[in-house]
Amino acid sequence: MNEEYKMVLVGVGGQGILTISDVIAIAAQEKGLHVLGSEVHGMAQKGGSVITNLKIGKRLYSPTIPIGSCKALVGLEENETLRYIKFLEPGGIVITSKTMLYPVGWKKDKSAADIAHQKIEENLAQFKANIIRIDAEKLALEAGLALTQNIVLLGALSQIEGFPLSDEELKDALKVRVPSKYLDQNLRAFELGIEAVKNKT
Amino acid sequence: MAKLSELIANEDKRVLCLGNEAIARGAIEAGVQVFAAYPGTPSSEISMALNAAAPELGFYAEWSTNEKVAMEVAFAASISGIRAMTACKHVGLNVAADVFYSFMYMGCKGGFVTIVGDDPHCFSSQNEQDSRWLGISANFPIIEPSNPHEAKEFTKLAFEISEQFEIPMLLRSTTRISHARADIQFNKYETNFREGEFEKTTQFKCLPAIARANHPKLLEKIETIKQWIPESGLTVVEECSDNKFGIITSGISYAYVKDALKELNLEVSILKLGMVSPLDEASIIKFSKDKDNIIFIEEVDPYLEDRISALLIQNNLNPKIHGKCSGITKRYHELNSRIVAEALSKTIGGKISSVTEIEKAVEETKEFIPFRPPLFCAGCQHRAAFYELSKVVRKNNGIFSSDIGCYSLDPWVTDTIVCMGASIGMANGFARVIKDKPIFAIIGDSTFFHTGLPALANAVYHKANFNVLILDNRMTAMTGFQPNPTESIPIEEVVKGMGVEYIVEFDPYDFENGKKTIEEALKHEGPTVIIMRKICANEWWRTQRRKGEKIEVYSIDPEICIACGTCIVQYQCPAISWSLDTNTKGKRYSVIDPSMCTGCSVCSQICPVKAISKVE
Repeated sequence: MNEEYKMVLVGVGGQGILTISDVIAIAAQEKGLHVLGSEVHGMAQKGGSVITNLKIGKRLYSPTIPIGSCKALVGLEENETLRYIKFLEPGGIVITSKTMLYPVGWKKDKSAADIAHQKIEENLAQFKANIIRIDAEKLALEAGLALTQNIVLLGALSQIEGFPLSDEELKDALKVRVPSKYLDQNLRAFELGIEAVKNKT
Repeated sequence: MAKLSELIANEDKRVLCLGNEAIARGAIEAGVQVFAAYPGTPSSEISMALNAAAPELGFYAEWSTNEKVAMEVAFAASISGIRAMTACKHVGLNVAADVFYSFMYMGCKGGFVTIVGDDPHCFSSQNEQDSRWLGISANFPIIEPSNPHEAKEFTKLAFEISEQFEIPMLLRSTTRISHARADIQFNKYETNFREGEFEKTTQFKCLPAIARANHPKLLEKIETIKQWIPESGLTVVEECSDNKFGIITSGISYAYVKDALKELNLEVSILKLGMVSPLDEASIIKFSKDKDNIIFIEEVDPYLEDRISALLIQNNLNPKIHGKCSGITKRYHELNSRIVAEALSKTIGGKISSVTEIEKAVEETKEFIPFRPPLFCAGCQHRAAFYELSKVVRKNNGIFSSDIGCYSLDPWVTDTIVCMGASIGMANGFARVIKDKPIFAIIGDSTFFHTGLPALANAVYHKANFNVLILDNRMTAMTGFQPNPTESIPIEEVVKGMGVEYIVEFDPYDFENGKKTIEEALKHEGPTVIIMRKICANEWWRTQRRKGEKIEVYSIDPEICIACGTCIVQYQCPAISWSLDTNTKGKRYSVIDPSMCTGCSVCSQICPVKAISKVE
């Protein structure tokens, strides 16, 4: 690849954003590519909004991705996908879980959750993107481990056009990064993610 | 975080790690022998890595009580001929300022490096101060890497420069370098640890006559370094054929310039300064001489712009200056490649992709995006303590002077948060002018040992009437659960020794008792000390899970719950939310997420209808 490949991974603290950005980084490095990413520490505790910027390529400079410029966005929580979809370039690809986690604002306003669920597709459609929505929670449970929602989406990401890493390369990296006792569930989650995209396209 | 084994492996290898870990590795490759630091975002991972590596490699590292002490520990090692380092965040450097302003006059022996993590955009800081100005005011030589790879190499280089010129060095990082993740080339290293040797000279006594003699010597040293920079390789010139424009930049801003020029499809000459103090005047003049326009790209303050503009005038050069003075970038918040592309296109031209449609879509959807502010974790002992405090004294009926730590997140009573230790310091002042309300200073264990002690001594000495609430969660949690003196020095003994007469302790998970303890303390003349003692719930919960220990969680009976919101809206525990379905009365109720509940039980104590109980 000549160009740099830019992506943004978002979700809520504790969902495993850092794990999948690690897996992508390991696979890229293994392929002889450079990796440059950016994450913010300190105030982002459990339950906070989390965003990771990741660039893969041969010559990389700045670690952040400005509005309207990444090729792919992976969202582990749909409100967060909506919050950060602005970073996507026009026509870019969004892979998002349909999961919605309770933010503090909804605690005072009981109907906000209903509105958010009803309006999400319409809101995301305001952005000119190619959006793939996946029931990652269901697939993760099918894989045998609720915590593998992130890996389901990683499997889906491996199938999108132009993504510089193959599913085999990502699976090898998964073996390095994921605890061996949960590897089977993770690999199953990855496969289910691949199938989910194939069924949609 | 990279694995410790990878971080210390003595081999040539590319390793995925954070910029801060790259700095730590640079220090290891440079053979750092003494390291001392107080944690502070965005610098903490440097110290975490070195504290973990020290026992494995056989050097000394510590978590010091504050940045001043840390710098003094490292300073003494350095003037005993040992390579030493400290690391802190920008505001931490203020705490150590008293040391380095004089330290610079004396110089050093073993390489001495201070790493400072500036935080443009205040990601987790109280201000955006720019440490580069210390180059002028303290004569600190400053090098500034522009990516994580350089961060490692510059750390090694800083030790060499420090020893070559016998001068303490400052390496300035910023959040986007410290917290960038990249594949970094690690190199083999040698360790040559040895005993220190302290040579008796008057050089290290900062008495007036000696200081008077040392100041011109320091300035001479700076002058010598200035002459040396062009041969150091720290200045990089990227010339192109067109002389109309030239960009001068340093640090992370260089990375944004490179990406911005790519986006604009432009070729412009760039002068990248690796050392930002003293300035490489010769290279700057040579670069600027034939340029019609000089563009400065830097974050926050116009540091390069102001200093170099003056330099150009002094050398009778008159290019047009573009930068903060012409408003192409702002004097606040961080840059990115798009902001820089916009700035450059305003001066040079070139087209940037439009984001108007995206901005329109953001505008139309923003009301549906819920706010997710940082909150106390589920089961947080601080939440319990603050809730009890707020029930005893309402916000409007007291003055609440708080401090820096997780407890800064209190949503109920806090009035002031300024800097480390200011809670008790300012309560001393409030006590002199506010007579009709109880005054509380609220401070954590680590902050208490950091800068709370002198302020409390002041209160006892001057008999200031206020209450100190010390939130002892047994660690420095906010920056990543670092240890601090509370592990082995009982706070109640310390305050007793200082002469505090009324000292009480309480467990915040006992709601009624917590309230009663605070109520009782208010009846006594201050300074009183109320110690909340409970281990950080987050760390406790993680340890239990790691060990595979069972956590006794709570649940809510949907039929008893009246959806009053006490646990959700008032207490704001993140483990509790509204149900999506309804109970038999057709009403929503609150539910506890068992994967988040830590079993603190406070919600069950404050529920007015007793709908919450332990899951049997």
